[in-house]
Amino acid sequence: MLSLSLPIPANNTLIPLRPNSSRSRRAGAESHPFSPLPYRKLHGPVETTTLAKVALRENVRDEGREGNSISGDSPEAEPLPEGFREDMMPKHVAVIMDGNARWAKLRSLPASAGHEAGSRSLRELVELCAHWGIRVLTVFAFSYDNWIRPKVEVDFLMTLFEREIKSQLQNFVREGIRISVIGDSSKLPKSLQKLISDAEETTKDNSRLQLIVAVSYSGKYDIVQACKSIASKVKDGVIQLEDVGEGLIEQELETNCTEFPYPDLLIRTSGEQRVSNFLLWQLAYTEFFFAEALWPDFGKAEFVEALESFQQRQRRYGARR
Amino acid sequence: MDSREEMQKAKRSIAQAGADWQFWASIPVVYSAFYCQHMVLSVGGKLRYLAIVVGSEEAFQTAKVTKLLQWLEAIGMKHVCLYDMEGVLKKSKEAILEKINNTTVFQEADENDKLLDQKHMTLEFASYSDGKEAVAKAANLLFAKYLQSANSDGDPDERIFNEPHMTEALRAVGCGGPEPDLLLVYGPARCHLGFPAWRIRYTEIVHMGSLKSMRYGSLMKAIYKFTMVRQNYGK
Repeated sequence: MLSLSLPIPANNTLIPLRPNSSRSRRAGAESHPFSPLPYRKLHGPVETTTLAKVALRENVRDEGREGNSISGDSPEAEPLPEGFREDMMPKHVAVIMDGNARWAKLRSLPASAGHEAGSRSLRELVELCAHWGIRVLTVFAFSYDNWIRPKVEVDFLMTLFEREIKSQLQNFVREGIRISVIGDSSKLPKSLQKLISDAEETTKDNSRLQLIVAVSYSGKYDIVQACKSIASKVKDGVIQLEDVGEGLIEQELETNCTEFPYPDLLIRTSGEQRVSNFLLWQLAYTEFFFAEALWPDFGKAEFVEALESFQQRQRRYGARR
Repeated sequence: MDSREEMQKAKRSIAQAGADWQFWASIPVVYSAFYCQHMVLSVGGKLRYLAIVVGSEEAFQTAKVTKLLQWLEAIGMKHVCLYDMEGVLKKSKEAILEKINNTTVFQEADENDKLLDQKHMTLEFASYSDGKEAVAKAANLLFAKYLQSANSDGDPDERIFNEPHMTEALRAVGCGGPEPDLLLVYGPARCHLGFPAWRIRYTEIVHMGSLKSMRYGSLMKAIYKFTMVRQNYGK
């Protein structure tokens, strides 16, 4: 259905190209601890994996990696896949990380196991983005609409976020990754709020990759809070009411924490084809890629497929952008 | 809609799809009639409001747009929003309405809860000005309200700046249409080209390819797939 005409180049990539036709992982990196199920129709019983087995594999994997370093045991950068144009990489990739609970259910595991597995996919994606010159990666970790989930699951997720930030912070510092968190933080545990604030402060001067994590985020809320912020400035005389327009609203959205607030590419996993209240304003000209894989199964190969699709499509920008 | 009317619509759907041999070749013959009847029954049930986004260069193909609407009308689709960024479809409104029988332009006064009562297809025409620009206008209404209110000495609070008020303000500026259940994008780019952001929170988005190559079978397949989707809405 699509016309595969010549792609339009994007600018400003940072990591130099090194040709490499291999899709293999870096030396020293361990394979995914969970056997990924095919995301097409299953043709037989799924091997039941107990939580104990999962925990054992997790310990083995963690011991094999020193400090979960993003650069791993190999000092070499992950080269761009063969055939990719460096100048056509998206500057900003957004991801709706969907499918953790379904992934766990397929294995007769609790949702928490799915979220744990999903966190590994995120680490891998951050690493690839940093190596491939993507400037901003925004991930939808927890929607404002997710607060209605079972308390056990929500509490686990808050704990997981804290654990991940703590364990990855030194890696971010070392790798030049800046972390920013957007969303209504008022509902987060105080300990997590403080951790986020400290992490943002610690990494604020990093410039290789900006990882924006949307937690307790709602696209509609983002627009409303932007208007609230503008109202304050109007009341204080900082801006005039007649100067308020869509440009000013854009400046007050939570994505004003980055130089590149508009995603070039949105990936949603698990086959669902909607944005679910994520970055509603910012996605006007974003290319959508809906991947069938569940988020814990989304790895390098799937990301490459999404980027290939991006590079092949004809991009059109509206006059008003 | 009674069952005889439903079957007549199903038969019209089959007749119109007859030329689309690739579509029909993909469905076992015994299921074809069921498929069309399923489509007729699904619209108005799960699929209440459909949006069509067209790349502005392709929006000039009025005949194609009209044909698309005729297909939708034949399967009982009652409420359609046509969007292109530049407002080309708005300018072609009269030409389009002439070609579709029993169609009226969507009026917000009809209210969402009366959508199912409509005997005619209602069409809404939207463009970029109904998206971000409309939000800015709606925001200005809220600003004026805030500045006039007794609370203007304090911080702006959620009694004025909240989602329901924004929705009301959008309605007040004439841009308060309902959230589409399904949004079909016709054009080269797989993006919604600025369709009103406030309205697509949980909208299914399907890219259909170019309008020039549109096929009845692909349209039916997209609608059918939509009816099979189950949303959790965050749960």
